[in-house]
Amino acid sequence: MEAYKFEKPSLQSAKGIAVIFVENLYKVIKNILPLFLVVAIGIFKNDHFFLEYQATIIIVLIFVFISVVITALLKYYTFKFHIDNNHFILNKGIFRKEVISIQKSKIQNIHIKQNFVQQILNVVALNIETAGDDTTEIEIKAISKPMALVLKEVLLINDKYEVDEATENDNLYFKISLKQLILEGVSENHLTSVVLVLALLSGIYDTLRDFIKFTHLGSFNLSASGLFESILFNIFLFVLLLFLGFLYSLLKIFILNFNLKVVNTKAGLEISKGLLNKVSLHVQKNKIQNIRLRTNRLKKYFSLYSLQFSQIMESKKQKEYMSIIALDDLQAHNLIDKFYKGFSENSQIHKPEKYFMRVLAIQYAIPLLLLNIPLYFVSSYLILLNIPLLTLLIWHINQSYKKNYFSIDENYFISGSGNIIDTITDYLELKSIQSVEFKQTIFQKKRHLASVVVYTAANHITIPHIKVAMAQPIVNYLLFKTEVGDKNWM
Amino acid sequence: MFTNIQIDIDSLPKVESIDFVSVKRSYFYILLFNYGISYLTLISVLIITNFLIEDSGLNFSITLVISLLSFALLIHLGILKLGFKNRKYALREKDIVFSKGYLQVTTTILPFNRVQHVEISRSLLERKFNLSTLKIYTAGDSGSDLSIGGLSQNDAEAINVYLTTLLNGSV
Repeated sequence: MEAYKFEKPSLQSAKGIAVIFVENLYKVIKNILPLFLVVAIGIFKNDHFFLEYQATIIIVLIFVFISVVITALLKYYTFKFHIDNNHFILNKGIFRKEVISIQKSKIQNIHIKQNFVQQILNVVALNIETAGDDTTEIEIKAISKPMALVLKEVLLINDKYEVDEATENDNLYFKISLKQLILEGVSENHLTSVVLVLALLSGIYDTLRDFIKFTHLGSFNLSASGLFESILFNIFLFVLLLFLGFLYSLLKIFILNFNLKVVNTKAGLEISKGLLNKVSLHVQKNKIQNIRLRTNRLKKYFSLYSLQFSQIMESKKQKEYMSIIALDDLQAHNLIDKFYKGFSENSQIHKPEKYFMRVLAIQYAIPLLLLNIPLYFVSSYLILLNIPLLTLLIWHINQSYKKNYFSIDENYFISGSGNIIDTITDYLELKSIQSVEFKQTIFQKKRHLASVVVYTAANHITIPHIKVAMAQPIVNYLLFKTEVGDKNWM
Repeated sequence: MFTNIQIDIDSLPKVESIDFVSVKRSYFYILLFNYGISYLTLISVLIITNFLIEDSGLNFSITLVISLLSFALLIHLGILKLGFKNRKYALREKDIVFSKGYLQVTTTILPFNRVQHVEISRSLLERKFNLSTLKIYTAGDSGSDLSIGGLSQNDAEAINVYLTTLLNGSV
């Protein structure tokens, strides 16, 4: 296995040129897409457009292509890495030369990824994460998989990290089935993706209208007089919106979590998944800041729970990768138990004060009132819309309160939250607490209430609206637990 | 509460009985200046736009926005003034405590054994008033960093030295 030498500065696999080329080409295309659209519209509107500017367009395209090839070559040949004296050293840069040196012990995590191009070329990318800021993140874009595994092992040797190909199948903890994957996608909360699609559609609303008018698509007559057609068009858009939103979140779940596998290792878990972008990453026991268990009404019915692990300094993208979906209740709790030994969900549970519901009610009352003003002017019948809306809101507020609780024992802090749809439980070890905040609004002060915010290096959790007499001892206790601990928590 | 804990909660050091030290009064002028500048920039941009699109006099909606902004500035400054007495800090044996705010008073307690590094910054105006801002950084970017403005230069230096020695000592 130790056939690879990392002492001498070495280049990536030659296939890296292709990987870098495609990546750069993609970036360039993404950047000039607006320009491209202008040209496309020009061709669409004027048949002679292409002929008139033919030469210019072709020259520009060739120029772009050649410059992308040259940058890819230069990037490839200037990117060299090696290991020297417990440091990983990287030389890169075309005009601005950079030498990056990372002490092995400072490496937080190493991910192995494979995007579509890399899958075709049979190479992998290796991501090295440090505890520093995002800019120090390092990515080797193309090396062979066995080499990546050895390099990963060599770099993480401090953590006695081991990956044994032979035993991988013995330690397989969980593998997603196609049925589970589709169920997960279907039962996803589609609301966020509907909002996303709505933003997109509203941006191109007029264009879409013009387009349909122009092409006489369907039998829409969108002239100024066609009120009925206009309503029909909007209903059509609404259905399209719901469908696209549904499809978007379904596809997202499917692509992101395709072939999800979880393997038990000595120091934690190895998660691998992805269809277009294959990732393989390691969740390390001693680097976890917080574990979040979530489900929703539908998922609960199908027995689908997801676990999300937070580590220090991870990008949003990484957060999406650091999760396992489609576990059943028992599997999820066994995993939490693996990382957080001896936590019990039976310790005494505390709830926020009823004031919690009042604050939520006030927060929702304002937009509801604002919504009523146009409704009133359009038609007084529309006021009736308030009945279902109010019912939904009251239910939502009630559920949010019902699902909110917390408990603190000797080593763990557990906090539950949720709303009408989702149920979320956060687990964190008291020793990973970074700082504690005691918050009190002037309205809370009158009622002798306060909120407590607990910060870890990855996120924060709020205990909302509890009695001051309870908040103060909690703050004192959490601080006591943090301050008696040693510094070596990372 | 906390029934399965052997430690007597009442015997723990209490955050609620700390003697806080207020930040320097002159820091209020700096806050005033900073907030004033950001509002005035916004207002002057609006006025310039107004004269770019309109030849004579002030546009009605722009006038409305400007008066709203001025009103917001007044309210904002009022809250700032009322909340200024809440800007106070305290050093304890194992942590630093800082509180601020008026509509919502936030008290942050940052244990020393979680501090990554300490920094003092002094803007031009702060130098004029002989003030310093002490920034205390923790790991991660979840917003647990602490920034205490309005310390006298000596105090800031003293805390900085104290924390730095503590940090180096415990490594």
